[in-house]
Amino acid sequence: MGFQSQDDLINQITTNGKLDTVVYQKTSVAVGQAGHWQHLLNSVGSIPAATFGGSEATFTATDNTWSEGAIAIGDKTSPATKHILSMGAGVVAAAGAPWFILPIDLVGYAKLTTTNVSTTGTKTITMTAISNTAANVDRYANGEGLRLFIGSYSAMGANAPTMQVTYTNSAGATGKVTTAGCVSTASATSGTILNSGNAANKYGPFLPLAAGDTGVKDIESVIWGGTAHASGSVIVGLCKPLCMPIPVPATGLYNMVDFVNTLPSMPRLKNGANVTFLVFGTGATTASATVYANFDYGWN
Amino acid sequence: MGFRTVAQWAASPDSGKWHITTFRKAVASAATVANDFIDYTYFAGNPPANFYASAPLEAALVESIRGINIPAIDGQFLKRITVMSAASSATGTTNQNQRLLLADYLLYYPFVDTDAVGEQQDMIQTAALPRYATGSGVQMMAVAQSAASTVGTFIVSYTNQDGTAGRTSSTTYTKAVAGGGALVSSTTNAVAGSQQFIQLQAGDSGVRSIQSVTFSAAGGGLMCLALVKPLYHFYSTQECRRTTSGNLESYGAASQFETVLHGPPVEIKNGAVLGIVGLGNAGTLASSVLTGILETTWS
Repeated sequence: MGFQSQDDLINQITTNGKLDTVVYQKTSVAVGQAGHWQHLLNSVGSIPAATFGGSEATFTATDNTWSEGAIAIGDKTSPATKHILSMGAGVVAAAGAPWFILPIDLVGYAKLTTTNVSTTGTKTITMTAISNTAANVDRYANGEGLRLFIGSYSAMGANAPTMQVTYTNSAGATGKVTTAGCVSTASATSGTILNSGNAANKYGPFLPLAAGDTGVKDIESVIWGGTAHASGSVIVGLCKPLCMPIPVPATGLYNMVDFVNTLPSMPRLKNGANVTFLVFGTGATTASATVYANFDYGWN
Repeated sequence: MGFRTVAQWAASPDSGKWHITTFRKAVASAATVANDFIDYTYFAGNPPANFYASAPLEAALVESIRGINIPAIDGQFLKRITVMSAASSATGTTNQNQRLLLADYLLYYPFVDTDAVGEQQDMIQTAALPRYATGSGVQMMAVAQSAASTVGTFIVSYTNQDGTAGRTSSTTYTKAVAGGGALVSSTTNAVAGSQQFIQLQAGDSGVRSIQSVTFSAAGGGLMCLALVKPLYHFYSTQECRRTTSGNLESYGAASQFETVLHGPPVEIKNGAVLGIVGLGNAGTLASSVLTGILETTWS
């Protein structure tokens, strides 16, 4: 339903109490590499570190009740809809500035470990395609607007293979493939988004979809080419970027974006949203960096 | 197709018709000069450096991999651009207050010899202008491909936006520069200060192709003539850094431009090769890093 006017927004917040505040803080698990994005999912903090306990090469849906750690954002009964009103973020680290912090809704992941990482070739992912039902996993109907990334959750071994993801797009076309030539990062630290980086054939934060595609309905496979990583564990993340990244110019500074009084966009926060944050470091970001973010959301 | 309402524009992230990408360009260690422009595409990072390295004087398309990544979608517009500039050191301040220009890099003619005085250097038309076929609004940019020792003088013969050949640029002066990547064009021979584009013959509004370059005074280096379509002017304000002695202090600012509020929401053509031209204000930009997020949207 949303808000009809500024007056309606004020009334719903102050009279009807339809406002909640979220705080998020993580201590980065490892050094963030220069020019890379980090996912922080396996970093300790509030929310706790995830261990990715799902089955190998199988999509695990995540939502606001994910047992490995999710911000407890309450669902609201339709026709009420939730909207982000403001968001801020900061970083405290001895090095690595400036940063960008991007909020995403992690819809799910598929993990690959051992020989699914240390050998090249096509690694098939088992996944039930995202549909258009009221289930939380279908909160972005047919995967419209969803994006892909490949992130490490252990230190990666030597070598930087090429990587592509084969997927079904939001229109239902199968066998679509992300951009050819995208390379991973050799010996990347834990928590690194491997498709991002500071060189040719790196794309951040997300793998470029095939021409004309605007979403991902089903992850079909990961294709590793070239020389495989010597070791490591990764997830293929499927997520919805929620709004503009928050810029953080230097350590200890805090920036806040108002989604009501600038260009009033008030990004939608779907029921079931599993909100987490990605961080881009211009320089190498010190391990144990503190990344914090907060946002207010209202509903009606 | 464009947008009919601001609400439609604002809702693009929710609708999925939105693309977000990072860029990070580190200026080389050779000093640049205050009030001189630089071509950020020339420097390392992501996207990778664009050295304009191909056969001398032959027209070539700027490779897509050299541009800031965008999706291959028609009817795409620049939604928002956010930039920060990391200082070269904990005390560096010379990268503050940069004037920046986002441009679509189209075609280039590399390795013009700025020492070839009196010789007409004829270009070879091995590629045609992409995306802006008539050349309307397309500008010529002289980019250093080496250090240059002195101020040279040249004119360019080109075909304008109406297809009229034999048009002649204003007399243009190169710059003495410490390395490649600096823009080397000015309408005066002053040591300090430069201009982004080579001034066209009166009445012209764009360039379709370049026929030749003739130097009347030697510049002591090599340069490339690039044809670009200027898209969006923006700024980076305070440098980003943290002091390491005395009272520890953090400095920095992010500059964010929502185009529908802060300037025209320009169209990004399908296949555009996006790069940034910068103008240092306070001194050298050497070893500073320009980092940012570019967002596009479509209806």
